[in-house]
Amino acid sequence: MMDVPSTGKMSRRTFLDYFLGLSVVAWLAAVLYPIIDYFRVPPQTEAAPSSVVAGSVKDFKPNSGKVFRFGNEPAILVDTPDGKLEAFSAVCTHLQCTVQYRPDMQRIWCACHGGVYDLNGRNISGPPPRPLTGYKVAVKGDDIVVSKS
Amino acid sequence: MNKESKMMRWLNERYNLSLIEHFAEEKKVPHFRGSFWYYFGGVSLFLFIVQVVTGILLLMYYQPGAQTAYESVRFIVMKVQFGWLIRSIHSWSANLMILSVIIHMFSVYFTKAFRKPRELTWYSGFILLALCLTFGFSGYLLPWNTLSYFATKVGTEIVGVVPFVGKPVMEVLRNGSDVTTATLTRFFALHVAVLPALFTVILGVHLLFIQVQGISEPESWKYLPESKKSHIPFFPNFVLRDVLLWLIVLNVLAILAVYFPWELGHKAEPFAPAPIGIKPEWYFLFMFQSLRFFPPKLLGVDGEVLGISLFGLAGFLWFLVPFWDSKTSKGSRNRIVNYVGIGVVLYIIVFTVIGARAK
Amino acid sequence: MKKIIIFLVFLAVIALPNVSNARTQEKKPVDKCLSCHTDIGSDEAASYMSDVHFKAGVTCAGCHGGNASVEDQDAAMNPKKGYIGVPKPSAIPQMCGKCHGLARTTFRNEYHLDDVVDQFMSSVHGRALNQSSDGPTCISCHGIHNIADVSSVKSPAYPTNVPKTCAKCHSNPDYMKKFNPGLPVDQYEKYLTSVHGERNEAGDPKPATCVSCHSNHLIRPVKDPRSPVYPTNIPETCARCHSNKAYMAEYHIPTDQYENYKQSVHGIALLQNSDLSAPACNSCHGNHGAVPPGVSSVASVCGTCHQANADLFDKSVHRAAFAKAKLPGCVVCHSNHLVKPPFDAMIAFDGGGVCGKCHKNMTSDPAAGAIIAIRWTLDSLTRGRKDAEALLSRAEQLGMDVSDAVYSLKDVNQSLVEARVQVHSFAATSVESAAAPGLKIVAGAQKSALAAVDEYYFRRHGLGVATLIITLLAVLLFLKIRQIERRNKG
Repeated sequence: MMDVPSTGKMSRRTFLDYFLGLSVVAWLAAVLYPIIDYFRVPPQTEAAPSSVVAGSVKDFKPNSGKVFRFGNEPAILVDTPDGKLEAFSAVCTHLQCTVQYRPDMQRIWCACHGGVYDLNGRNISGPPPRPLTGYKVAVKGDDIVVSKS
Repeated sequence: MNKESKMMRWLNERYNLSLIEHFAEEKKVPHFRGSFWYYFGGVSLFLFIVQVVTGILLLMYYQPGAQTAYESVRFIVMKVQFGWLIRSIHSWSANLMILSVIIHMFSVYFTKAFRKPRELTWYSGFILLALCLTFGFSGYLLPWNTLSYFATKVGTEIVGVVPFVGKPVMEVLRNGSDVTTATLTRFFALHVAVLPALFTVILGVHLLFIQVQGISEPESWKYLPESKKSHIPFFPNFVLRDVLLWLIVLNVLAILAVYFPWELGHKAEPFAPAPIGIKPEWYFLFMFQSLRFFPPKLLGVDGEVLGISLFGLAGFLWFLVPFWDSKTSKGSRNRIVNYVGIGVVLYIIVFTVIGARAK
Repeated sequence: MKKIIIFLVFLAVIALPNVSNARTQEKKPVDKCLSCHTDIGSDEAASYMSDVHFKAGVTCAGCHGGNASVEDQDAAMNPKKGYIGVPKPSAIPQMCGKCHGLARTTFRNEYHLDDVVDQFMSSVHGRALNQSSDGPTCISCHGIHNIADVSSVKSPAYPTNVPKTCAKCHSNPDYMKKFNPGLPVDQYEKYLTSVHGERNEAGDPKPATCVSCHSNHLIRPVKDPRSPVYPTNIPETCARCHSNKAYMAEYHIPTDQYENYKQSVHGIALLQNSDLSAPACNSCHGNHGAVPPGVSSVASVCGTCHQANADLFDKSVHRAAFAKAKLPGCVVCHSNHLVKPPFDAMIAFDGGGVCGKCHKNMTSDPAAGAIIAIRWTLDSLTRGRKDAEALLSRAEQLGMDVSDAVYSLKDVNQSLVEARVQVHSFAATSVESAAAPGLKIVAGAQKSALAAVDEYYFRRHGLGVATLIITLLAVLLFLKIRQIERRNKG
């Protein structure tokens, strides 16, 4: 095809081709790196949809409670001594501590100032000024689904 | 060289590649002052490819459903390596694609490339635009955030206003009487299965028409002698230019995705009051804004119904432009087409701007 | 208008024949009822002679109906002529109201309250009367045939007699059960133990009696927000006397409690935020048995609400030390009526510090180490949280999602509040162990904030590299295109 090409032109062309090829490889790397990395197992293997699934029915015994995350606030699910499920915001209405269930008292209790709520969320002793916000509890299959009522 | 030709020979023996080679060598693209606009078809194609790739990647982690849609998108953005990038590129690319398709359509319109014998290319292109808008509308809901939820609610409500068929169509779209997670499932199926399949087929047809008929020459070349017409070879010149532009678009996409990451917003709460100033995506804004200007009653007809009917009619007429532009196809100039086109462009720009500024 | 009113008043006067007779005849009426009943030795008739109404010329018929001017028994006590005999209890308020419900028509204005009947009937006593004829009426408090002016010590409604008068019913469990079984019946007993009660017993009419707080005719249930003893109204009710310098002068006690209380954390909670769980005056002083809590009982009084703090205090070194020094517990650091929200800087020798009140010498005091350690722990937690928040908000401003770390910071509050409660143990180790989880969360949040900021720059730099590569490729491609096109031309 090219019998007597000038050497300068020839070398420039090959240089350009070579460089072009190299940058295509670099470009491929730049595009493929994020894509391949995208498939790496993420630190937390699955999306956490549990903002409203508080737990499984199996994990609950009467006279127990569990604090779980509900949106951006902690919430508490209580299995009452009569086996009824109740859910409340776990944020104490006094100074925003997180409340917990006390099986010995059969009450919801705040460790900070000893505020006590009954199992309807009503503030019955100590400094809390207001009842806990109640949530709606539904059982779907084994899942306990808590939603804002 | 030697290696390459060896491989070519091997392939040629089996598939007769010379045909394709021949076709590629023969194919020419008109080269003139306005040929810049020819590239938007290619850009749209590139953005579609980006959408397919990033869309498939998102599908690796996305889970539709009331308790998972928002959370999984959030998971992609926060936890998955480069998930933020893929999601942002998908969103930005979607918007740029619609923009590019719209520019492509107007450039075809103003260069009169829809004329005989290319009417079918125009029709298929118009369908592709409609599919793009549906893509955008259905994809917008998938992250299940407040804005997308209410935008979908308003959008489907407008469909429901259409006389006679509106209500049933709306219910089919919503998969119920209200926008719920059932709607989400339906939109998801539309977005990842129905629309891509349809789009790919029609895009194939669209591209086939172009390959068969070649690329349209500008209006001004009609009476020009062949020697005065300037062309560049499709391969490699036009293709490489296309690739160059694609690279620039890719760069723009990357910069947009990093500097203006697409917001995730807050999870949709169907019973929460609608936030103030719900707006649709920018490409629906001019219609949305126009509907707001319609009086509630006009000539005894519900203003909204009238507005939607008018838009439907206008869209249909636009679709049919190869028909009513019959005069030009016979050889005489038809200025009306240009005036209508300029009017439409101005209308869309003005109302989009008003809509964007409205509170 | 004025004329119409005068006319109406005139009609009303006409309509009350017995009283108007008493007024118009300008001299003592000849009360035939009284003369006969005195003759037959009736006690009622005898005691009526000293009744304030007798002196004002009201005849027996004023209340009992009939005709007081005729001697004939049948004519005088003819039911057809309006004779009622012993009035039914339920009719008594209206009967007294015939005169006492009409202001500015007769007698001295102060006994004629426009709506005294309405007031009484809408009070708890009026309701009780509606329910049962055993219920209280006017005469339950004011007496029957020997009614005296309330400013007279003879009246059962005179301040020093009021407690006993109310106690007639309110200390009688059998009687009270009929109306409100839940109501305690020990108010009088408690009252006698209060400072108010002691002085009242001693004959001083100025200290508060039942009506001073509960009002008189219009007594509402304690749970009624309009009641002067509804929690949010109590401070003002007490302040009516206790903030009155002139009134309180002879008792030599301060009168600034209400002013102080209003600015205190309790006053703001109760009066401004209507937080009914916040204490009013009676929450600490008692209500019927109101006394200032003694030095030894302060901690138990505060501890009824601030349980955790009181428990810790009781087990701490300060309990014995304060008792020895006769220091009133909580009040030493937090003050009494003017309790301000506590702040960490209280734990200091100087500045706003309260420790310095007793621990004078920072260098030689054996408690110095604990004071400094406690303060340092609290400060490092609050400062750490502030730093973490600043870092997180920076990461957020950079567009990074750090909501998990922001959420984790919520538990810092818990730890901080617990640590602050532990201050009342006055032991550095307890405070430190309460603060430990908080400090850990703070460290974690700071770490993830920094990681988010790093990630932000990684993205920027990654973009830089990618852009560079793409641009390079684009430039080379451009050169290649030029080359090809030049070759084609050439």
